[in-house]
This record gives sequence, C-alpha cells and structure tokens, in this order.
Amino acid sequence: MHPFFTILLKELLIFFRSTGLVLMVIYFFTAEVYVAGDGVEVEAKNISIAIVDKSAGGISKKIISSLHAPEFQTPKFYTSQKELSDAIYDRDIMIGLIFDEDFEKNYYKHLNPQINILVDSTTASQSLMALGYLQNIVMDFNKMQLPITMKIHKLFNQNATTSYFMSLSELLSVITLLTVILTAVVFVKEKENGTWDIMLLMPVNPKIIILAKSFSQIIIVMIGTFLSVGIVLFKGFNIPLNGSLLNFFILTFFYVWTTAGLGLFIAAVSKTVTQIAQLSIVIMMPIIFLSGAWTPIYAMHPILQTLSIFSPLRYYIEGSESIFFRGSGFIDLLPYFGGVILLGIVLYWYGFRKIGKLF
Amino acid sequence: MLKIKDLTVRYKKKIGIKNLNLEVHKGEVIGFIGSDGVGKSSALNAIAGVLKFEGKISYKGMSYTSPKEALEVKKQIGYMPQGIGLVLYDTLTVSEHLDFFADIRDITIDAEFLEYKQNLLKMSGLERFLQRKAGELSGGMMQKLSLICTILHRPSLLILDEPTTGVDPLSRIEFWEILKHNSQNYGAISIVSTAYMNEASKMDRVVLFDQSTAIAIGTTVELLKEIEPFVYEKTVQKFPNSLTVGEATYSLEKLDIPHQTPILESLFFINSLKHNALLPALKISQKNLAKNTNKITIKANKITKRFGKFIANESVDMELHRGEIVGLLGANGAGKTTFIKMILGLLPIDSGELSLLNKKITSAKDRQELKSKIGYVSQHFALYDDMTVRENMLFFALMHKISRKKAKELIGEYADELGFREYLDDMPRSLPLGINQRFSLAVALLHDPIILCLDEPTSGVDAIARRQFWDLLQELKIKRDISILITTHYMSEAEFCDRVVLLKDGKKIADKKIAEFYEEFPNAHDFEEIFLEYYR
Repeated sequence: MHPFFTILLKELLIFFRSTGLVLMVIYFFTAEVYVAGDGVEVEAKNISIAIVDKSAGGISKKIISSLHAPEFQTPKFYTSQKELSDAIYDRDIMIGLIFDEDFEKNYYKHLNPQINILVDSTTASQSLMALGYLQNIVMDFNKMQLPITMKIHKLFNQNATTSYFMSLSELLSVITLLTVILTAVVFVKEKENGTWDIMLLMPVNPKIIILAKSFSQIIIVMIGTFLSVGIVLFKGFNIPLNGSLLNFFILTFFYVWTTAGLGLFIAAVSKTVTQIAQLSIVIMMPIIFLSGAWTPIYAMHPILQTLSIFSPLRYYIEGSESIFFRGSGFIDLLPYFGGVILLGIVLYWYGFRKIGKLF
Repeated sequence: MLKIKDLTVRYKKKIGIKNLNLEVHKGEVIGFIGSDGVGKSSALNAIAGVLKFEGKISYKGMSYTSPKEALEVKKQIGYMPQGIGLVLYDTLTVSEHLDFFADIRDITIDAEFLEYKQNLLKMSGLERFLQRKAGELSGGMMQKLSLICTILHRPSLLILDEPTTGVDPLSRIEFWEILKHNSQNYGAISIVSTAYMNEASKMDRVVLFDQSTAIAIGTTVELLKEIEPFVYEKTVQKFPNSLTVGEATYSLEKLDIPHQTPILESLFFINSLKHNALLPALKISQKNLAKNTNKITIKANKITKRFGKFIANESVDMELHRGEIVGLLGANGAGKTTFIKMILGLLPIDSGELSLLNKKITSAKDRQELKSKIGYVSQHFALYDDMTVRENMLFFALMHKISRKKAKELIGEYADELGFREYLDDMPRSLPLGINQRFSLAVALLHDPIILCLDEPTSGVDAIARRQFWDLLQELKIKRDISILITTHYMSEAEFCDRVVLLKDGKKIADKKIAEFYEEFPNAHDFEEIFLEYYR
C-alpha cells in the first residue's frame, strides 16, 4: 500500500477512535447549525402587549383587533397609564399602547391623532421589529387617506426567513472553524505525544505525510458537510435549492483545502493543542468578520471592504448563497470559484512550506 | 512520631497504594524505593495531606484522615513535589527566593535564622550564585535550592518526591548531606522517594514498593540478610521457579550452587518470584544484516548545538562501531537528548560534521535513504495512543514499505520473542511501562536497522524489566551485529555498555571503555563513584 493511504487510514482510524473529537464534530455540524438557524430570532414573535384605551371608540378597537398571533400575544387591558408602566417595569409586558381620551375626536378632525407607545427595549432588535409592525398596522389603517402604498417584493428568500440565511452561513463558518482546528490538531497532537519525531524518521517523503494528513481531515469535514446539508439544512429548515448541489460540494472541497492551508500554518507555529485554540481564534475572527457572514460587506468601512477581498470565506459564502438561493449556474459561479481557488493556492502553499520546514 | 495505618489511596480506575503500615521516629530518614507507578507518590501525597485517602495517619498525636483535617499538621510539613525546580520561580534570583520563602512562612529574621540560612547556602555551594536567576541554574542546583526553600522554616516532617532523579552525582551527594544534616541536628523526619537503588545506603530504613504495595520495610542490612538464602551465583542451567538476571540466579527452592551476596535489586527479583510475576523469557532471533565493510557506523566530529545563548552541545566528538553499545550518560540537561536528536536529524546541527554509515550528512536529502537503516526509541516510548499495539506495529511496518503479509509475520515473531503477544490488542497507554518498552523496541527493529538509538529507554521502568532490557540489548548486539547508542541518567547502568561517553553541561568529559574506567580508578566500588571523580 502506498504510504499516502497508510497515513490516511491511520488518521481516519485515530479520528473515529477519539470519541470526544467525533462528538464535537457532530455537534458543530448539527446542533450548532440548527441553533444558529432557529435560535437567533430577529423577527417579532409572540410579543406581550397591553393597552390603555381611554378613547372608547371604534377606531382604537379596530387597531387593537389587528394585534394578533403570531406577532403578538392576546393584548391585556389596563385602566391607567400607571398600571401599564408598572407592568412593563415588572417585565410582564413589552409594549404598551395608550389611546388618549380625544384620540378619536382628533382623528376625525384631522388634528394629528396620537397613540402613545411605551416600549421595553432591553432586547433592542425584537422591540424595534415590533415597532415596525405597529407602524405598518397603523399605516394600513390609514391607507384610505394615503395616496401612496408600498408593495414589497422579497426576492430569493420570499418570507425573508432568517433561518435560511443564518443556518447556511453558520454551516460555512463551522466548516472554516473545524477544518482549521482539525488540520492543525492532527499535526500538533503528534508533537504533544512525541510521535512527531518517529514520524520524521520514517523513510517517507515528508510531502506525502503532509498531504495525507491534511487530506484525511478534509474527508472528515466533507462528510460532516454532507450530513449537515442533508439533515439540518434540507430536513430541518427546508432550505430551497435553486442551483446544483454538486457545484456546492465542489466549491466546498476547494474551500476546505484553502482553510486546511491555514491549519497547516497554525500547526507549524503551535506546540500544544491549547495554542491552536488561541491562534485559531485570532486568525479566524478577521476572516469571518470580513467575509460578510455577520454584516453585509457593503455596510462595512471602505478599508474593511477592500480587505474583505482577501477573506476566502467571502467568496465561499457568496458562492454558496448564489447556489442555494439564486440558483446561479456554473458560469456565474466562476468568480467565486476563482476567488476560493486563488486564495487557496496561496494559503495552502504557504502553510505547506511552513510545516514542511519542520521536516 | 509518624504513624501510618492501613493507608490506601484509590483513583477512579486504579489503586495508588494499598494498606501501607509504617511508623517513623524522630530524626529518621526513610526511603521509598520503586519504579514509576508503584504507589510512591500516592503514599507521599497522602502523608503530605494533599490527597484523599483511606486509613489513618497521625503525626505528633494529631491524626488526620483527609486533606481537610491535615490543615493543622501542614504547618510542620515541608513538601517537595516530583519534577525539577517545580517550587521555584524562573525569574527570581537565589537570594530573592530565600527572602520570599522566609516571608510567606512568616519566619522571624534573627541571628539564629541568618546563621542557619548561611550554613545551608554553604553546604549546597549556592553561596556563589546568590544573584543568579533560578531559571539559569543547572538541574542539580535547582534541586538544592528547592530543598533549602522547603526546609527554610524548619519543618519537622519533610516529604520529598524523587528529588534526585536526573540530578548529577555531585549535586546528589550535596543534596543528601543537607538532608542528613537537617535530620541529625534538628530531628526532622524525612521521607524521600527515589528510583536509584544505590541511594538506599543513605537512608536509615527503606520501604520497597512494587505494584501498589510495600513489599519490604527495614534497614538495607536486614532486608539483604533476609533474602540471602535465595541468591546464587549466575548459572546457565535452567531450574523451575528460578530466575537469572544480571549477575545472579534467584530461586526460592534450594539449589546446589554456591551462594552470592545479594544486592538491593535482588529484593524486587525475589518478590516477583514469590508472586509468580515473572517476565516471560525474552530472546532475539539471529539475523545477518547487510555486511557493511566499514566498521564505523556513526562518526560525529565537533558537533555543536545552541539554543539562543544556551549551548546544549559543545564540540562533541563520538564514534560508534558495529556490534558496540555506547552509553551516553549524564544528568538532566547535560545534552544527551539533544545529541541523539542531532544524530537522527531531528534537530539541525549548528556546526561540526556528521557521517552515518560512511556517508557524510550535509542535507536532509542525504538522510532520506539512511532512514531505513536507523531505528529509534524515543523518550517515554511515544506511540499512537488511539491505536492498539498491533495497529501501531502494522502502521510503522507499512511506512517502512514492508508488505502487509510480511508485516503480520514480523509482528507475530516479535510479539513471541519479546513476550507481549497477549497485549497485542490493547491500547499502549493501558499497559505497564515495561511492556511499552519492549514493544517500542520491536517497532524500532521492524525494518532491521543497523543503528539503534534509544533515548532513556529504562527510566521509570521497574528493576527487573530494566535488567532484562539490558540483557536483551546485549543479545541484539551479538546476534545482529548492530550499533546501539543509548542515553540514561542511571549512572549504574554504565556497567552494561561497552563504552561510555560522559556528558556534563553539553561537553564531553569522558569517553572510555568500561575496563579503562576501572583501571583509572582502581579504588572505585561502582560507576557512581567513578563519575563523581569526573564531575569534581
């Protein structure tokens, strides 16, 4: 058997024997992605609301009747503003509406009727979203008077379901993180255990050793990605697939090589697994930040926008989103493939050389 | 004064020490002797009150059964954990250390204390290095400083865990002098563990440990007298229930051979005989390896290695021939491992020349083809922990481009010869060190190397396994005509080598055949004493 396969099989065997590592990888590819997609909720949902209605008219009733599930809980009614604000202070209520006594009178007289709103904005994004909803409701109500109405079309993610976006970009971040750490660990674990020296004394070309070791971890990450896409993305979140899944896996494969290069670099400079953890965070944070995984690139400072050209994750995220949501064909994906492969060649070459020096 | 009753320490999966009973009197120095993992540290930690234990310990009438209850006693305890310089701070100087330890122990600085301190510094030879940082001291000086810091507050119960392991012989003597002085003049009890058998003579009484139990307690004279009837002159004859290791044959039944004076190690051999815990007979099969016309396998010429300012090896010359065992001896930090790593190409050589098997080494490429001629057993027998013994061996065989079929045959062969067949499907870390030692040797021999490099293959291994390992190396040398380069910090193991290269602070201070050493110092009893002369 060629030494390449001997080493490859050995690494896979060792991986599947170390229960802790297997569990960690499974966790990251399933639960972590699922929690990110499901748990990070920025839509207004199930908000507690209370009302003090002193106008006792039909208009306020009509407005109140539009406050319903799933955005709001059934409204509670209070008789005074004091009671309402107490409830908010006690965290029973998040949003309170107060209709003045002359609300209805002013409405008919076109005297700028006013609804007072009290908001507990501890959870800022939730409350902002809720306010948006309230505004929409009031605007809808005003429709007759307004000459312009807005008609919104949401493209690619028709319901603007955040779980689509969040779970996919979390998966891509997980792939980045795991590839870097796993690749670095297979090398550094040998340094820690002292087997590194014995490895160096084998009559095998060091290049083969490096390639086989990093390839074994790439296989593991690819299997994990496959499971995650199938189980979490498709089954769990029903993510639409408008493009070719094959393209996605090819892109992933190239991307994983790219990040494996980073792993090699980290492995070359760390002596212990703890050091890997520290270094990975320092090196990967900017890459994830600049990729647009958390903030859209156009919202960044111009300097950061330029820097983001060097984040391979940027091309990977944009490419993957194009495949899943936009359904782009291979030709349209070429820039992303190009970006990933180009950066990949540089990073892997650098990491390879760096660790090769230790041989 | 110190009474230990039925002391048992249990860990999650194994027992540290079981049913230790011991009484120690004022001023006594007690030695705990045994290899790694036999329960010495467990017992010491329990006595020091830093470990949970079963049974009862009482000191000066205060008894404790847990670390919590030991709080009151701890004030009187001085404890030095295993490992060199663990209680020291690298960036503090010697005098700052003394001030610091006096401070935290709340010692009144009076004339008496100053005299006591001065005396300690004088005895240890640290007087001249008051302004030197601890990180820049040698291993021996670090241990002496640690000891002084530990006894600075005059504890009446001293617990020292392997304080002299890997320390140079001269420092070890000074270390023992300080300790003796402390016991005699201040009546302190000292309990010291050690892996060196010959230190037993420095102790009032010894406790021998094997497999988590104390197998013998008493003075060395008493203990040796007890086993006298079982020790015979070395014989090649085979008797049932007997054992031949080193220079003697041991048997529980009466043999018709003249008796021989036992040595302390004999106690362990006889204990194994009694418990039927004998090692299988080991052997090595004959092999005719490539006849290299040149006798010289390794030739190192003025090899130097620096790490920053620190010089690890300075102009070391060495030659190794076929069919020769050369021992690289020295204390911790003498540069043994660095030297072996340079020979192997694991560390670049800063200056000097190296030829392996008559080929000058100038680049990594030169080494590539030589790799199949060299075998290596690393310190602590590093192997893959997540693979069984069999899988480990198969992996290394395949890496050496041995066919799968041939590899399986070889594994079976070595497993039988070196007696680890029953462990083939176990994970290495679950095995005793002695088994790991033999199986690591088998891994290093799979590809029939001509040069075998062994880095401290005997440290931590019990007495009987150590002896057998040396016998095995002798056989290997004779039957395969290979060169063996071995490092060790056991000075007594020099006896088993053909030639010894003695290193001190990175420099070679001696390179002679064993007989030549004895010719030079005819009055010396053992190698410990010979090397002491060189260290002076």
